[in-house]
Amino acid sequence: MDTPQDPTPISAEEVQLLEVKRIEKQAHRTRMILFGLLILASSLPLFLTLNVPNKPTQATVDLYSTIMAVPDGSTILLQTDWTTSTRGESGGEFEGLMRVLMRKNCKVALYSMSDAQAPKVAMDEIVLTLNPERKLKGEREYKAWDDYISLGFFPNAEGETASMAANLRSAWNGKKYINDSGEPEDVFQSPVLSKVQSITSVPLVVIITATSSFNVLIERLSGKVPIVALVTGVMGPETNVYYSSKQIQGLATGMKGVYDLETMMEDGINSPGPNGKVGFQWENHPPVKGFPGETNYGRGKLYFPTLHIDMALLILAVIFGNVGMFMAKKRGNR
Amino acid sequence: MNFSYPSGSSTLYLALAVTVIFGFLIMFGMMSMPARWRRPVVVTCTFISGLIYVAYYLWPKPQSFGPRDIPLNWSEWVGSQLADTIGVAGTISTALTTFLLGLGIYSLVRIHGRKLIRMQKDWAFSLVLLISMLAIVIFGYWSYYQTKFGPDASKLQDAANWTWVNYTNDFLFDGLLQQMEGAMFSVIAFYILSAAYRAFRIRSVEATILLASALIMMLSLMGAVEFLWNSKFDHSGAFVANFQLTEIARWIRDTFQTPGIRALEFGIGLGALAMGLRLWLSLEKGGVSA
Repeated sequence: MDTPQDPTPISAEEVQLLEVKRIEKQAHRTRMILFGLLILASSLPLFLTLNVPNKPTQATVDLYSTIMAVPDGSTILLQTDWTTSTRGESGGEFEGLMRVLMRKNCKVALYSMSDAQAPKVAMDEIVLTLNPERKLKGEREYKAWDDYISLGFFPNAEGETASMAANLRSAWNGKKYINDSGEPEDVFQSPVLSKVQSITSVPLVVIITATSSFNVLIERLSGKVPIVALVTGVMGPETNVYYSSKQIQGLATGMKGVYDLETMMEDGINSPGPNGKVGFQWENHPPVKGFPGETNYGRGKLYFPTLHIDMALLILAVIFGNVGMFMAKKRGNR
Repeated sequence: MNFSYPSGSSTLYLALAVTVIFGFLIMFGMMSMPARWRRPVVVTCTFISGLIYVAYYLWPKPQSFGPRDIPLNWSEWVGSQLADTIGVAGTISTALTTFLLGLGIYSLVRIHGRKLIRMQKDWAFSLVLLISMLAIVIFGYWSYYQTKFGPDASKLQDAANWTWVNYTNDFLFDGLLQQMEGAMFSVIAFYILSAAYRAFRIRSVEATILLASALIMMLSLMGAVEFLWNSKFDHSGAFVANFQLTEIARWIRDTFQTPGIRALEFGIGLGALAMGLRLWLSLEKGGVSA
């Protein structure tokens, strides 16, 4: 009589391989659950209007005060080094800043030192988002040539910024832009730059960036002209070095920076609102007016709750990861 | 010296043609030059270019010197000449850097064109790349011409009057390129979350300190948490006010993060200075100095 054959014994290597496969499968499943949660957590708050309490930071208070101190109708230089990849943060910063500048009738000369697409992205924001918003409210639309011009992309940030610091007129000599008659004309003939003689005659230089392009700007222009920076959360710590040394006058960082800016646009600083109440108090600061009731809130208010939930998810992921590790260790010791 | 000529004038086109021919002549001259002669030319150009910037930073600058002012002495004269030269040097260096863009396009077309002709592996991706590049160039310039110089240029400033060319350009730039860039960037969120779960572990004292600091910084970015936390310690002037979330976060930032980054950047700056000196004086072994 034949005895039933024993199943082929599994070698230690095969056992190890199976264990690795099991762990990989489990990790894959956990990752998918996390990703699913992230998609839900990031999407759901976008459909809700939530008023999250917020207190602006010292850096954004300084930023807002500096921008508001710019004389109405003057020209500011805007280095716009962001594209759609960081539109959540940079787009919100650009919109907030431009809304304030438009209300102050400031003229804007924008250029990029970091990305060839950036000037077009910024111009599209003005033409396709901000101008229709103003038109809808019966306000004057911002016109290219008269109110803003794009000087385009400068691929050599170091050389160009050094030239700007030495002689702005010589640095942009021969640059043309399409005037309101459709003809290319020298940029210094435009109402935006006609009164600008040198970098010191500009009341403010603003940089909105998602990269470390602020380094060159600050190295070359700091001390000659006030500078404020609006950067992404990732670039925040690096830029804070310049804010803490007072090489830049104000700083907005990431999504919180956008929401801070929007909060102050609505409430001002130590400024009584229409109901006579001060919306946002900051100790020992002179009153700076806001624009209560105007379109102040945008991406900041919209995305801030999402940031909360995503941060909470991140913290939970770290906690669960560590709890899992300790439990596995405990099982191993037993 | 004024190199600016009226737009569309024959002088401008003549100047452009002369510049292009001159540029090609220089390039041809450099390429046909024996290697042993090439080096001194490059070394001299590099040194003179660097010297302009070094001299500008080190030379005393004339104070409140306007474009119509006459220098009072030779020191002021040199300072004003250097300030004027920097503008021209900046324009030249910008023009030279712009050539890198052309070089990039040439390289891209060469590599992917060859791949396509030889039908190498993944040639379809090369085809997509070349078609996309061509399409965005054609529609970009076409739309630019229509909105800036076309007969209906002023009407086209309003998006309601756009032609199919403007819409196609907008679709390619805003609808595809920008959105894909946004999508690529948002993928990072998934990596961060995955890394937070799998790699951010309390394995040592250092890791625990790092984790605790990160936790405080993350919580400080959450306005609602910050509001609730701070309200528990909101006693102006009292010692406990130091335990507000914003204060703790600020302490971490100002005491550890910012000085740490500053020290790092100082080191990088010193390294860049040493490297810059080596390049300026052509002491580097690589490149033309080899």
